[in-house]
Amino acid sequence: MTEDNKIIPLMLLQHSDSAFPSGSVSFSWGLETLVNRGMVTKADDVQAFLNAHLIARWASLDRVILVHAHQSWSDPDRLSWLDTLTEVQSLSAEQRQGSKLMGAAMLQMHCKLGTKTARELSAGISKGRLYGHVPVVQGVLWRALNFDSYQAQSMAAHGLVTSILSAAVRLSVIGHADAQRIHSAFLPAVVAALQEPVLEPEEAHSFTPQIEIASMMHEMDEMRLFMN
Amino acid sequence: MNDKDLRTQTTSGSQKSAARVGIGGPVGSGKTALIECLIPDLVSRGIEVAVVTNDLVTKEDAKRLQNSGLISPDRVLPVEAGACPHTIIREDPSLNIAAADNLNASFPELDVIFIESGGDNLASTFSLDLVDYWMFVIDTGAGDDIPRKKGPGIIRSDLLVVNKIDIGPYVGANVDLIKQEAVEVRNHRPTLLTDCKRKIGIDALVDQLIQDVLFTDV
Repeated sequence: MTEDNKIIPLMLLQHSDSAFPSGSVSFSWGLETLVNRGMVTKADDVQAFLNAHLIARWASLDRVILVHAHQSWSDPDRLSWLDTLTEVQSLSAEQRQGSKLMGAAMLQMHCKLGTKTARELSAGISKGRLYGHVPVVQGVLWRALNFDSYQAQSMAAHGLVTSILSAAVRLSVIGHADAQRIHSAFLPAVVAALQEPVLEPEEAHSFTPQIEIASMMHEMDEMRLFMN
Repeated sequence: MNDKDLRTQTTSGSQKSAARVGIGGPVGSGKTALIECLIPDLVSRGIEVAVVTNDLVTKEDAKRLQNSGLISPDRVLPVEAGACPHTIIREDPSLNIAAADNLNASFPELDVIFIESGGDNLASTFSLDLVDYWMFVIDTGAGDDIPRKKGPGIIRSDLLVVNKIDIGPYVGANVDLIKQEAVEVRNHRPTLLTDCKRKIGIDALVDQLIQDVLFTDV
Protein backbone atom coordinates (compact mmCIF):
# COMPACT_ATOMS: atom_id res chain seq x y z
CA MET A 1 0.00 0.00 0.00
CA THR A 2 1.47 3.40 -0.97
CA GLU A 3 1.54 6.29 1.47
CA ASP A 4 -1.27 7.94 -0.54
CA ASN A 5 -3.41 4.83 -0.30
CA LYS A 6 -2.83 4.60 3.43
CA ILE A 7 -4.10 8.10 3.99
CA ILE A 8 -7.27 7.77 1.92
CA PRO A 9 -9.27 5.77 4.53
CA LEU A 10 -8.46 8.38 7.15
CA MET A 11 -9.47 11.15 4.78
CA LEU A 12 -12.75 9.35 4.11
CA LEU A 13 -13.45 9.34 7.84
CA GLN A 14 -12.52 13.01 8.15
CA HIS A 15 -14.68 14.19 5.27
CA SER A 16 -17.74 12.10 6.11
CA ASP A 17 -17.59 12.80 9.84
CA SER A 18 -20.47 14.84 11.23
CA ALA A 19 -17.78 17.07 12.77
CA PHE A 20 -16.82 18.22 9.25
CA PRO A 21 -18.58 21.59 8.85
CA SER A 22 -21.30 21.15 6.25
CA GLY A 23 -24.29 23.01 7.68
CA SER A 24 -26.18 19.72 7.88
CA VAL A 25 -27.06 20.31 11.54
CA SER A 26 -29.70 22.84 10.49
CA PHE A 27 -31.62 20.56 8.09
CA SER A 28 -34.30 17.94 8.74
CA TRP A 29 -35.32 17.46 5.07
CA GLY A 30 -39.06 17.50 5.88
CA LEU A 31 -38.89 15.40 9.05
CA GLU A 32 -39.66 18.28 11.43
CA THR A 33 -43.04 18.97 9.81
CA LEU A 34 -44.03 15.31 9.86
CA VAL A 35 -43.05 14.99 13.52
CA ASN A 36 -44.87 18.19 14.51
CA ARG A 37 -48.02 16.95 12.78
CA GLY A 38 -47.91 13.55 14.42
CA MET A 39 -47.16 11.67 11.22
CA VAL A 40 -43.77 10.41 12.42
CA THR A 41 -44.02 9.28 16.04
CA LYS A 42 -41.77 6.24 16.50
CA ALA A 43 -38.62 4.50 15.35
CA ASP A 44 -40.37 2.56 12.56
CA ASP A 45 -41.69 5.82 11.12
CA VAL A 46 -38.21 7.32 11.14
CA GLN A 47 -36.87 4.27 9.32
CA ALA A 48 -39.66 4.55 6.73
CA PHE A 49 -38.89 8.25 6.28
CA LEU A 50 -35.21 7.45 5.84
CA ASN A 51 -36.00 4.73 3.36
CA ALA A 52 -38.17 7.08 1.29
CA HIS A 53 -35.43 9.67 1.22
CA LEU A 54 -32.76 7.16 0.29
CA ILE A 55 -34.62 5.23 -2.38
CA ALA A 56 -37.01 7.74 -3.88
CA ARG A 57 -34.81 10.82 -3.78
CA TRP A 58 -31.14 10.22 -3.02
CA ALA A 59 -30.56 7.03 -5.03
CA SER A 60 -32.52 8.13 -8.09
CA LEU A 61 -31.47 11.79 -8.15
CA ASP A 62 -28.62 12.94 -5.89
CA ARG A 63 -26.58 9.78 -6.39
CA VAL A 64 -26.97 9.98 -10.17
CA ILE A 65 -25.88 13.62 -10.24
CA LEU A 66 -23.00 12.93 -7.85
CA VAL A 67 -21.65 10.06 -9.95
CA HIS A 68 -21.79 12.06 -13.19
CA ALA A 69 -20.31 15.16 -11.53
CA HIS A 70 -17.52 12.96 -10.18
CA GLN A 71 -16.86 11.73 -13.74
CA SER A 72 -17.08 15.21 -15.28
CA TRP A 73 -15.37 17.12 -12.50
CA SER A 74 -13.27 19.21 -14.86
CA ASP A 75 -16.00 19.97 -17.41
CA PRO A 76 -17.75 23.21 -16.33
CA ASP A 77 -20.48 23.03 -18.98
CA ARG A 78 -21.52 19.51 -18.05
CA LEU A 79 -21.41 20.36 -14.34
CA SER A 80 -23.67 23.31 -14.99
CA TRP A 81 -26.11 21.04 -16.82
CA LEU A 82 -26.07 18.45 -14.01
CA ASP A 83 -26.65 21.23 -11.50
CA THR A 84 -29.63 22.51 -13.48
CA LEU A 85 -31.12 19.01 -13.57
CA THR A 86 -30.94 18.91 -9.76
CA GLU A 87 -32.60 22.32 -9.53
CA VAL A 88 -35.55 21.38 -11.73
CA GLN A 89 -36.04 18.01 -10.03
CA SER A 90 -36.45 19.60 -6.60
CA LEU A 91 -40.07 20.64 -6.30
CA SER A 92 -40.27 22.38 -2.93
CA ALA A 93 -38.34 25.59 -2.32
CA GLU A 94 -36.91 24.42 1.00
CA GLN A 95 -35.51 21.18 -0.44
CA ARG A 96 -33.97 23.16 -3.30
CA GLN A 97 -32.60 25.83 -1.01
CA GLY A 98 -31.31 23.27 1.49
CA SER A 99 -29.33 21.47 -1.19
CA LYS A 100 -27.76 24.73 -2.34
CA LEU A 101 -26.99 25.93 1.20
CA MET A 102 -25.30 22.65 2.05
CA GLY A 103 -23.34 22.79 -1.20
CA ALA A 104 -22.24 26.35 -0.40
CA ALA A 105 -21.30 25.44 3.18
CA MET A 106 -19.19 22.51 2.01
CA LEU A 107 -17.56 24.61 -0.68
CA GLN A 108 -16.77 27.39 1.75
CA MET A 109 -14.88 24.92 3.97
CA HIS A 110 -12.96 23.43 1.05
CA CYS A 111 -11.97 26.90 -0.17
CA LYS A 112 -10.43 27.45 3.26
CA LEU A 113 -8.70 24.05 3.09
CA GLY A 114 -7.37 24.84 -0.39
CA THR A 115 -8.97 21.80 -2.03
CA LYS A 116 -8.27 21.73 -5.76
CA THR A 117 -11.18 23.11 -7.88
CA ALA A 118 -13.01 24.58 -4.86
CA ARG A 119 -12.28 28.18 -5.79
CA GLU A 120 -13.24 27.63 -9.46
CA LEU A 121 -16.52 26.05 -8.36
CA SER A 122 -17.19 28.88 -5.94
CA ALA A 123 -16.48 31.45 -8.67
CA GLY A 124 -18.94 29.61 -10.96
CA ILE A 125 -21.67 30.06 -8.33
CA SER A 126 -20.80 33.72 -7.72
CA LYS A 127 -21.02 34.41 -11.45
CA GLY A 128 -24.36 32.61 -11.78
CA ARG A 129 -23.07 29.73 -13.91
CA LEU A 130 -23.90 27.19 -11.20
CA TYR A 131 -26.53 26.80 -8.48
CA GLY A 132 -24.10 24.75 -6.37
CA HIS A 133 -26.35 21.84 -5.40
CA VAL A 134 -24.77 19.50 -2.90
CA PRO A 135 -24.39 16.38 -5.14
CA VAL A 136 -22.50 18.42 -7.74
CA VAL A 137 -20.24 19.94 -5.10
CA GLN A 138 -19.66 16.54 -3.46
CA GLY A 139 -18.86 14.88 -6.78
CA VAL A 140 -16.32 17.48 -7.82
CA LEU A 141 -14.59 18.05 -4.49
CA TRP A 142 -14.37 14.40 -3.52
CA ARG A 143 -12.99 13.58 -6.95
CA ALA A 144 -10.42 16.34 -6.43
CA LEU A 145 -9.45 14.63 -3.16
CA ASN A 146 -8.93 11.36 -5.08
CA PHE A 147 -11.90 9.51 -3.60
CA ASP A 148 -13.26 7.02 -6.11
CA SER A 149 -16.89 7.05 -7.19
CA TYR A 150 -18.01 4.27 -4.83
CA GLN A 151 -16.32 5.96 -1.89
CA ALA A 152 -17.95 9.28 -2.76
CA GLN A 153 -21.38 7.66 -3.02
CA SER A 154 -20.90 5.87 0.30
CA MET A 155 -19.90 9.11 2.00
CA ALA A 156 -22.93 10.96 0.63
CA ALA A 157 -25.33 8.19 1.67
CA HIS A 158 -23.71 8.05 5.11
CA GLY A 159 -24.12 11.82 5.44
CA LEU A 160 -27.81 11.60 4.57
CA VAL A 161 -28.46 8.82 7.08
CA THR A 162 -26.58 10.47 9.96
CA SER A 163 -28.11 13.86 9.24
CA ILE A 164 -31.70 12.56 9.32
CA LEU A 165 -31.13 10.35 12.35
CA SER A 166 -29.50 13.21 14.21
CA ALA A 167 -32.49 15.44 13.40
CA ALA A 168 -34.84 12.70 14.64
CA VAL A 169 -32.97 12.52 17.96
CA ARG A 170 -33.12 16.30 18.37
CA LEU A 171 -36.83 16.23 17.58
CA SER A 172 -37.20 13.69 20.43
CA VAL A 173 -38.93 11.12 18.26
CA ILE A 174 -36.18 8.53 18.85
CA GLY A 175 -33.42 8.12 21.41
CA HIS A 176 -29.69 7.91 20.74
CA ALA A 177 -29.70 4.10 20.96
CA ASP A 178 -32.65 3.88 18.56
CA ALA A 179 -30.68 6.03 16.13
CA GLN A 180 -27.80 3.56 16.12
CA ARG A 181 -30.16 0.57 15.84
CA ILE A 182 -31.85 2.13 12.83
CA HIS A 183 -28.49 3.03 11.33
CA SER A 184 -27.21 -0.54 11.64
CA ALA A 185 -30.43 -2.04 10.30
CA PHE A 186 -30.36 0.39 7.41
CA LEU A 187 -26.86 -0.41 6.12
CA PRO A 188 -27.98 -3.28 3.81
CA ALA A 189 -30.46 -0.91 2.15
CA VAL A 190 -27.64 1.58 1.57
CA VAL A 191 -25.42 -1.12 0.08
CA ALA A 192 -28.28 -2.31 -2.16
CA ALA A 193 -28.83 1.25 -3.39
CA LEU A 194 -25.15 1.56 -4.20
CA GLN A 195 -25.19 -1.68 -6.21
CA GLU A 196 -27.91 -0.46 -8.58
CA PRO A 197 -26.78 0.62 -12.07
CA VAL A 198 -26.37 4.37 -12.23
CA LEU A 199 -29.01 6.12 -14.34
CA GLU A 200 -28.14 8.53 -17.11
CA PRO A 201 -28.49 12.17 -16.02
CA GLU A 202 -31.61 12.61 -18.17
CA GLU A 203 -33.23 9.75 -16.22
CA ALA A 204 -32.52 11.27 -12.79
CA HIS A 205 -35.72 11.79 -10.84
CA SER A 206 -37.28 11.91 -7.40
CA PHE A 207 -40.73 11.01 -6.14
CA THR A 208 -41.32 11.83 -2.49
CA PRO A 209 -44.69 13.61 -2.49
CA GLN A 210 -45.29 13.48 1.26
CA ILE A 211 -41.84 14.88 1.98
CA GLU A 212 -42.24 17.60 -0.66
CA ILE A 213 -45.61 18.63 0.79
CA ALA A 214 -44.15 18.57 4.31
CA SER A 215 -41.35 20.84 3.11
CA MET A 216 -43.85 23.27 1.60
CA MET A 217 -45.85 23.33 4.85
CA HIS A 218 -42.64 23.92 6.80
CA GLU A 219 -42.15 27.24 4.99
CA MET A 220 -45.15 28.63 6.89
CA ASP A 221 -44.65 26.90 10.23
CA GLU A 222 -44.17 29.21 13.20
CA MET A 223 -42.40 26.65 15.35
CA ARG A 224 -39.32 25.42 13.57
CA LEU A 225 -35.93 24.28 14.76
CA PHE A 226 -34.62 23.45 11.28
CA MET A 227 -34.16 25.30 8.01
CA ASN A 228 -36.18 22.67 6.13
CA MET B 1 -15.98 58.48 -6.17
CA ASN B 2 -18.21 59.65 -3.32
CA ASP B 3 -17.78 59.06 0.41
CA LYS B 4 -19.90 55.91 0.34
CA ASP B 5 -17.87 54.47 -2.54
CA LEU B 6 -14.69 55.28 -0.70
CA ARG B 7 -15.92 53.47 2.41
CA THR B 8 -16.55 50.30 0.45
CA GLN B 9 -12.96 50.14 -0.78
CA THR B 10 -10.01 48.96 1.25
CA THR B 11 -6.62 50.55 0.82
CA SER B 12 -5.66 47.72 -1.52
CA GLY B 13 -8.61 48.56 -3.76
CA SER B 14 -10.54 45.37 -3.04
CA GLN B 15 -14.07 45.39 -1.62
CA LYS B 16 -14.08 45.68 2.15
CA SER B 17 -15.49 43.04 4.45
CA ALA B 18 -17.66 44.23 7.34
CA ALA B 19 -16.49 43.44 10.85
CA ARG B 20 -18.44 40.50 12.31
CA VAL B 21 -19.51 40.82 15.91
CA GLY B 22 -21.02 37.90 17.80
CA ILE B 23 -23.62 38.51 20.51
CA GLY B 24 -24.20 35.48 22.72
CA GLY B 25 -25.81 34.82 26.06
CA PRO B 26 -28.61 32.99 27.85
CA VAL B 27 -32.25 33.09 26.74
CA GLY B 28 -33.92 36.29 27.95
CA SER B 29 -30.71 38.14 28.80
CA GLY B 30 -31.69 40.89 26.38
CA LYS B 31 -29.56 40.25 23.30
CA THR B 32 -32.21 41.40 20.83
CA ALA B 33 -33.13 44.43 22.98
CA LEU B 34 -29.46 45.34 23.06
CA ILE B 35 -29.24 45.19 19.26
CA GLU B 36 -32.34 47.38 19.07
CA CYS B 37 -30.49 49.95 21.18
CA LEU B 38 -27.21 49.63 19.30
CA ILE B 39 -28.60 50.08 15.79
CA PRO B 40 -29.86 53.68 16.07
CA ASP B 41 -26.78 54.76 17.99
CA LEU B 42 -24.44 53.23 15.38
CA VAL B 43 -26.49 54.57 12.48
CA SER B 44 -26.43 58.08 13.98
CA ARG B 45 -22.64 57.85 13.85
CA GLY B 46 -22.69 56.93 10.15
CA ILE B 47 -22.01 53.21 10.70
CA GLU B 48 -23.75 50.75 8.37
CA VAL B 49 -25.23 47.73 10.16
CA ALA B 50 -26.81 44.35 9.33
CA VAL B 51 -27.84 41.43 11.56
CA VAL B 52 -27.87 37.63 11.33
CA THR B 53 -30.22 36.09 13.90
CA ASN B 54 -30.09 32.50 15.16
CA ASP B 55 -33.55 31.88 16.53
CA LEU B 56 -33.89 28.66 18.49
CA VAL B 57 -37.45 27.65 17.63
CA THR B 58 -39.23 30.45 15.78
CA LYS B 59 -38.18 33.46 13.71
CA GLU B 60 -39.22 35.70 16.59
CA ASP B 61 -35.99 37.68 16.88
CA ALA B 62 -35.60 38.08 13.12
CA LYS B 63 -39.20 39.27 12.74
CA ARG B 64 -38.89 41.59 15.73
CA LEU B 65 -35.88 43.31 14.17
CA GLN B 66 -37.36 43.30 10.67
CA ASN B 67 -40.53 44.98 11.99
CA SER B 68 -38.72 47.34 14.33
CA GLY B 69 -38.40 50.18 11.83
CA LEU B 70 -34.79 50.53 12.99
CA ILE B 71 -33.21 48.69 10.09
CA SER B 72 -34.21 47.74 6.56
CA PRO B 73 -35.84 44.26 6.80
CA ASP B 74 -33.58 42.86 4.10
CA ARG B 75 -30.57 43.63 6.29
CA VAL B 76 -31.76 40.98 8.77
CA LEU B 77 -31.20 37.33 7.87
CA PRO B 78 -32.44 34.45 10.06
CA VAL B 79 -30.56 31.15 10.37
CA GLU B 80 -32.31 28.24 12.09
CA ALA B 81 -30.14 26.41 14.59
CA GLY B 82 -31.52 22.86 14.31
CA ALA B 83 -31.83 22.85 18.11
CA CYS B 84 -28.07 23.28 18.37
CA PRO B 85 -27.31 26.95 19.13
CA HIS B 86 -23.77 26.01 20.22
CA THR B 87 -22.98 24.10 17.06
CA ILE B 88 -23.92 26.69 14.48
CA ILE B 89 -21.78 29.42 16.03
CA ARG B 90 -18.85 27.22 16.99
CA GLU B 91 -18.27 23.71 15.57
CA ASP B 92 -20.12 24.25 12.30
CA PRO B 93 -20.70 27.95 11.71
CA SER B 94 -20.85 27.50 7.92
CA LEU B 95 -24.46 28.67 7.52
CA ASN B 96 -23.84 31.76 9.61
CA ILE B 97 -20.73 32.52 7.56
CA ALA B 98 -22.77 32.10 4.38
CA ALA B 99 -25.48 34.44 5.71
CA ALA B 100 -22.90 37.08 6.64
CA ASP B 101 -21.24 36.67 3.23
CA ASN B 102 -24.62 37.19 1.57
CA LEU B 103 -25.24 40.37 3.55
CA ASN B 104 -21.78 41.60 2.65
CA ALA B 105 -22.37 40.90 -1.03
CA SER B 106 -25.81 42.56 -1.02
CA PHE B 107 -24.70 45.59 1.01
CA PRO B 108 -21.02 46.27 0.29
CA GLU B 109 -21.23 49.48 2.30
CA LEU B 110 -21.68 47.53 5.58
CA ASP B 111 -19.32 48.31 8.46
CA VAL B 112 -20.62 45.83 11.03
CA ILE B 113 -22.61 42.60 10.90
CA PHE B 114 -23.99 41.45 14.23
CA ILE B 115 -24.45 37.70 14.58
CA GLU B 116 -26.94 37.09 17.38
CA SER B 117 -26.74 33.61 18.82
CA GLY B 118 -29.83 31.69 19.81
CA GLY B 119 -30.33 31.76 23.56
CA ASP B 120 -27.80 29.44 25.11
CA ASN B 121 -25.93 28.83 28.34
CA LEU B 122 -22.73 30.04 29.96
CA ALA B 123 -20.58 27.56 27.99
CA SER B 124 -21.41 29.18 24.68
CA THR B 125 -18.53 30.61 22.63
CA PHE B 126 -18.12 31.77 19.02
CA SER B 127 -15.78 30.30 16.42
CA LEU B 128 -13.09 32.81 15.58
CA ASP B 129 -13.61 31.82 11.93
CA LEU B 130 -17.11 33.28 12.25
CA VAL B 131 -16.58 36.49 14.21
CA ASP B 132 -13.84 39.06 14.67
CA TYR B 133 -15.10 40.00 18.11
CA TRP B 134 -17.81 38.75 20.42
CA MET B 135 -19.71 39.94 23.41
CA PHE B 136 -21.57 37.90 25.97
CA VAL B 137 -24.75 39.24 27.54
CA ILE B 138 -25.97 38.24 31.00
CA ASP B 139 -28.67 39.92 33.07
CA THR B 140 -29.00 40.72 36.72
CA GLY B 141 -32.30 38.82 36.90
CA ALA B 142 -30.37 35.55 36.66
CA GLY B 143 -28.74 36.30 40.02
CA ASP B 144 -25.56 37.96 41.18
CA ASP B 145 -23.58 34.73 41.32
CA ILE B 146 -23.37 34.36 37.52
CA PRO B 147 -19.82 35.76 37.14
CA ARG B 148 -18.61 33.36 39.85
CA LYS B 149 -19.81 30.43 37.72
CA LYS B 150 -17.05 31.38 35.27
CA GLY B 151 -18.49 29.85 32.11
CA PRO B 152 -16.45 30.28 28.91
CA GLY B 153 -18.93 32.92 27.72
CA ILE B 154 -18.12 35.04 30.78
CA ILE B 155 -14.41 34.41 30.79
CA ARG B 156 -13.47 34.31 27.12
CA SER B 157 -15.73 36.90 25.48
CA ASP B 158 -14.08 40.10 24.28
CA LEU B 159 -16.70 42.11 26.09
CA LEU B 160 -19.09 41.13 28.88
CA VAL B 161 -22.36 43.05 29.06
CA VAL B 162 -24.35 42.92 32.30
CA ASN B 163 -27.82 43.88 31.13
CA LYS B 164 -31.06 44.81 32.94
CA ILE B 165 -29.28 46.58 35.77
CA ASP B 166 -32.61 48.29 36.47
CA ILE B 167 -34.21 45.08 37.78
CA GLY B 168 -31.30 44.01 39.99
CA PRO B 169 -32.67 45.61 43.19
CA TYR B 170 -36.07 43.98 42.67
CA VAL B 171 -34.69 40.44 42.46
CA GLY B 172 -32.14 40.77 45.25
CA ALA B 173 -29.15 40.95 42.90
CA ASN B 174 -26.27 43.18 43.91
CA VAL B 175 -25.27 44.92 40.65
CA ASP B 176 -22.07 46.33 42.13
CA LEU B 177 -21.02 42.84 43.20
CA ILE B 178 -21.74 41.45 39.73
CA LYS B 179 -19.57 44.14 38.17
CA GLN B 180 -16.76 43.69 40.69
CA GLU B 181 -16.65 39.90 40.35
CA ALA B 182 -17.01 40.02 36.56
CA VAL B 183 -14.02 42.33 36.32
CA GLU B 184 -12.02 40.00 38.58
CA VAL B 185 -12.84 36.73 36.80
CA ARG B 186 -12.20 38.41 33.44
CA ASN B 187 -8.85 39.68 34.59
CA HIS B 188 -9.94 43.28 33.97
CA ARG B 189 -11.01 42.81 30.38
CA PRO B 190 -13.98 45.04 29.42
CA THR B 191 -17.26 44.63 31.33
CA LEU B 192 -20.09 47.10 30.83
CA LEU B 193 -23.44 47.62 32.55
CA THR B 194 -26.56 48.39 30.51
CA ASP B 195 -30.25 49.09 30.94
CA CYS B 196 -31.94 48.92 27.54
CA LYS B 197 -35.22 50.39 28.79
CA ARG B 198 -33.62 53.66 29.82
CA LYS B 199 -30.74 53.44 27.31
CA ILE B 200 -28.17 53.49 30.11
CA GLY B 201 -24.70 52.32 29.11
CA ILE B 202 -25.49 52.13 25.39
CA ASP B 203 -23.25 55.04 24.38
CA ALA B 204 -20.36 53.50 26.29
CA LEU B 205 -21.01 50.15 24.62
CA VAL B 206 -21.01 51.71 21.15
CA ASP B 207 -17.81 53.62 22.02
CA GLN B 208 -16.21 50.31 23.03
CA LEU B 209 -17.29 48.61 19.79
CA ILE B 210 -16.04 51.47 17.64
CA GLN B 211 -12.70 51.44 19.41
CA ASP B 212 -12.22 47.64 19.49
CA VAL B 213 -13.87 46.58 16.24
CA LEU B 214 -13.70 49.51 13.82
CA PHE B 215 -10.36 50.75 15.18
CA THR B 216 -11.37 54.38 14.98
CA ASP B 217 -11.29 57.13 17.57
CA VAL B 218 -14.53 57.70 19.40
